[in-house]
Amino acid sequence: MVLNTTIQKQTFTFHPHGGLLWEEKSMLLISDVHLGKVSHFRKFGAAVPSPAAQKNFILLDEIVTHFQPFQICFLGDLFHAALNKEWQLFENWVAKTPSEIILVAGNHDIIAPEKFESVGIQIFKELCIDDFLLTHHPEERTGFFNFCGHIHPAIRLQGFGRQRVKLPCFFKSKHQMILPAFGEFTGNHTLTPKKEDEIFVIAEGEVLKI
Amino acid sequence: MDRNELFEIANSWFLEQDWTPHAFQKETWNAFLGGKHGLLNAPTGSGKTYALWFPIVLHYIRTHPEYKSRHTKGLKAIWITPLRALSQEIKQSAERIVADLELPMTVGIRTGDTSAKERSRQKNTMPDLLITTPESLQLLLSSKGYDKIFKNCSAIVVDEWHELLGTKRGVQMELALSRLKTVCPNLCIWGISATIGNLEQARQVLLGPTSKAYQDSVLVKAKLNKKITVKSVIPKEMETFPWRGHLGLRLLHEVVPIINNSKTTLLFTNTRGQCEIWFQKILEKHPEYAGIMAMHHGSVAKETRLWVEQAIRNETLSAVVCTSSLDLGVDFAPVETVVQIGGPKGVARFLQRAGRSGHQPGKESVIHFLPTHAMELIEASAMQKAVRNAEVEDRIPYLNSFDVLLQYLTTLAVSDGFYPEEIFPEIKQTFCYQALSEAQWQWLLNFLVIGSQSLKTYDEYKKVEVESDGRFKVNNRGIAMRHRFQIGTIVGDASIAVRYQKGGYIGSIEEYFISKLTPGDVFTFAGRNLEFIRVKGMQAHVRNSTKRTNKVPSWMGGRLSFSAQMSELLRQELYTAELEPSKQSEEIKALAPMFAKQREESIVPKPNEFLIETFKTRDGYHHIFYPFEGRGVHEAMSSLLSYRISLLTPITCSLAYNDYGFELLSDKPIDIQNVLDNNLFTTAYMLSDLQKSLNSNEMARRKFRDIAVISGMVFTGYPDKGIKMKHLQSSSQLLFDVFKDFEPDNLLYQQAYTETFEHQLEEGRLRMALERIAEQHIQWKQCEKPTPFSFPIITDRLREKLSNEKLADRIKRMTKILTK
Repeated sequence: MVLNTTIQKQTFTFHPHGGLLWEEKSMLLISDVHLGKVSHFRKFGAAVPSPAAQKNFILLDEIVTHFQPFQICFLGDLFHAALNKEWQLFENWVAKTPSEIILVAGNHDIIAPEKFESVGIQIFKELCIDDFLLTHHPEERTGFFNFCGHIHPAIRLQGFGRQRVKLPCFFKSKHQMILPAFGEFTGNHTLTPKKEDEIFVIAEGEVLKI
Repeated sequence: MDRNELFEIANSWFLEQDWTPHAFQKETWNAFLGGKHGLLNAPTGSGKTYALWFPIVLHYIRTHPEYKSRHTKGLKAIWITPLRALSQEIKQSAERIVADLELPMTVGIRTGDTSAKERSRQKNTMPDLLITTPESLQLLLSSKGYDKIFKNCSAIVVDEWHELLGTKRGVQMELALSRLKTVCPNLCIWGISATIGNLEQARQVLLGPTSKAYQDSVLVKAKLNKKITVKSVIPKEMETFPWRGHLGLRLLHEVVPIINNSKTTLLFTNTRGQCEIWFQKILEKHPEYAGIMAMHHGSVAKETRLWVEQAIRNETLSAVVCTSSLDLGVDFAPVETVVQIGGPKGVARFLQRAGRSGHQPGKESVIHFLPTHAMELIEASAMQKAVRNAEVEDRIPYLNSFDVLLQYLTTLAVSDGFYPEEIFPEIKQTFCYQALSEAQWQWLLNFLVIGSQSLKTYDEYKKVEVESDGRFKVNNRGIAMRHRFQIGTIVGDASIAVRYQKGGYIGSIEEYFISKLTPGDVFTFAGRNLEFIRVKGMQAHVRNSTKRTNKVPSWMGGRLSFSAQMSELLRQELYTAELEPSKQSEEIKALAPMFAKQREESIVPKPNEFLIETFKTRDGYHHIFYPFEGRGVHEAMSSLLSYRISLLTPITCSLAYNDYGFELLSDKPIDIQNVLDNNLFTTAYMLSDLQKSLNSNEMARRKFRDIAVISGMVFTGYPDKGIKMKHLQSSSQLLFDVFKDFEPDNLLYQQAYTETFEHQLEEGRLRMALERIAEQHIQWKQCEKPTPFSFPIITDRLREKLSNEKLADRIKRMTKILTK
């Protein structure tokens, strides 16, 4: 089941890995992958299983194969920290991925822009495309609808029998959509929606509108 | 000097104080000077410190006949205390002996509170007698050249060993001792323990089951026949006494005459939150107590705590509301009466608290038990019997705690490095790791050096390195520094210091509570009403407020389970409800109105009956089972049963349990007849079903939290230093998932499951409980509304979850939680 939503007359399709395809532009939006996090931890003496580092690339491959987008735009925090050997894996992935890749830099992206440019990735502080504003940190700007990340949003649901679950989600308010964190081994932050907010949760390989 | 002459020194000192040494003290001196190791079983306030300080000092006199003119500097004895708060007291008693016997010995303290300056001074010249905590001892092992510090140490005493046994700090102690045995050739090892069920085992764990030290050791028991009187506070109006609750404020007025009739009264509460509330409420109702009543719990600033302790000794306070922070150590002679508010969940702890009162020889200890809800009166009555028969629980020691071992090995690698072939036999001698296999040992070494079990090319894992001579060593300063900060096995939520804006420190609160406050909110803490201003770094700024509030910080604390013996007593007590009043205790008699209410909807079970109640409320469908086996068994049984039910039909339920029974709460009714027809209480396949049930709920996941921190996988930052290591922070929950997906054979991941089994779920008792249920008549009562028995359980908010339904299906029945 494919779920999509219309924002300012444009169509956006959800993917349960945590990505969003802008159909008209064939642009895949992905936020907060935090590549290199596993290696970073290992470098500092915490033995996180290294196969977990591979998982991000597998997920990226799956979503790219599914949508076959013209462009992939990462909304920040693509890399968790300083350069480490996971960069090599990333380079390989970029080389074999036919889509054009761009990055809106986030607070974790401290790797030199030249490094990205050397593999053909352009970096932007922010991007304005038509009346859409693409940033890492959530922003409000009159006349624009904002796509962003940074928060790693999740929400809590409750039901009869004192049931509660917490799930990562796409969090849409009137002029903004916050994307969930794409990466494995990233946490999340619970938001409390207002009545007018629209929530799309990720549940066991499905995106569901609440 | 021979032993008699030495004893003469001790005897005459006692005589000067107008004391006579107890038999157990003499026995301990004798054993110690005879070169024995041992465990001394003596209660707090019985003179146990003198039982061991004296032989330590006498041993020094014996080996240094010219001690008055010639003194060799350096560490001679270590005294381990689990609570830093106690160190001052222990120091004073040591100093008293040293001064009176005109010995040139110095006494020093080294804990987390010791200043950096003092610590480095100690590094140069260690005090002769050192008082420290298990964590600080580990820190000494992480410093370069530690073997020289300990070389001439001749004695180590582990005080309050019962508090450490059955915790990972105890394991830490076992490991430190295994090293010290090698480093200090003439070490004499002694433990001091209050009465617990497994004293013999306690000695074995302390000394190592296969060690020479254990063969050459004694168990000394202090036979002090102290009379303990337990009095239950019985509510006068039972009809209106609540069926649930944990505060007990309803009986506040009953406490007032108790306080007034006694010189000093200690009121023990079970949580710090409860302590705050009681303090507040007593003052509200009885402002005349202002100035003569105080509060004492672990999060109150140290200065305040010390002041309170001193004030108790000076007899300037008539009441102190406290938590387990006053359980141990410190001797308070003026305390006449103790009040226990709410069930103490353990006979040993209850006895220890009772022993806080009536210290003068010949006086009896009086403890009042104040129930917080009706069912606790049954507990009160059972507790009296338990005290009479001294039915004290066991403290179960840990086995194969890989997390603590990894921490310890890193500690050694940080200081001087270690050679596996030297350390392995030492570790094998400990109780905890007696069954450690060569394969597991190799796994642990691999984990430290390559962070996995196979080498990968792009891997940059860095922690312990193997040097050319085979020594395992940490050479990276950052790793060493982070490790030193992490040493310690007590894991809590990150705590935030609470300060006035101008800087006065009030205490610490869990981050979780602060995160729920917005500026301007008023909360009660350390007996004050405080307005929250902001969080800055790892500090919360506050100012005094006159606004009234009912916000009280809560601290997560472990909940203890009843022992098998205590559960048995509880059942026996409950069964008397069906007897004629003349055969009932006062407490059970007082409960008559509640039992009547219970019989309206359901029954009070007889010995051969197993009660199941079902009813619906707006919360959902409640299914309640009453085995009366204690919390731990109920936790396991609820997990097992809900798993077995989920095999019959897809279901989502939340589980709650207390010492009386457990509940499965679901959004759909469970067919109990189906449960009975399928014989879901069978012991067949119990273990494998239980194991599988753990995969579908969160118990092991929660256990993993401590394991991840202790083993150094999760870095908590340095909260009190204000240093945040954001880029290295991850949650143990995330890590648990990563292990589950990528490395399920990881020993640390597996340890989470083993610990849940052995330490929490008490597999053996579960089997016996199921066998008992098989012989009972099942009484299934379909009720219209909640019964008095069910009330404390269904209102419990701390719950486990179990679900095997499709998430999407569940979500369709749920709604989002909106801002109000």
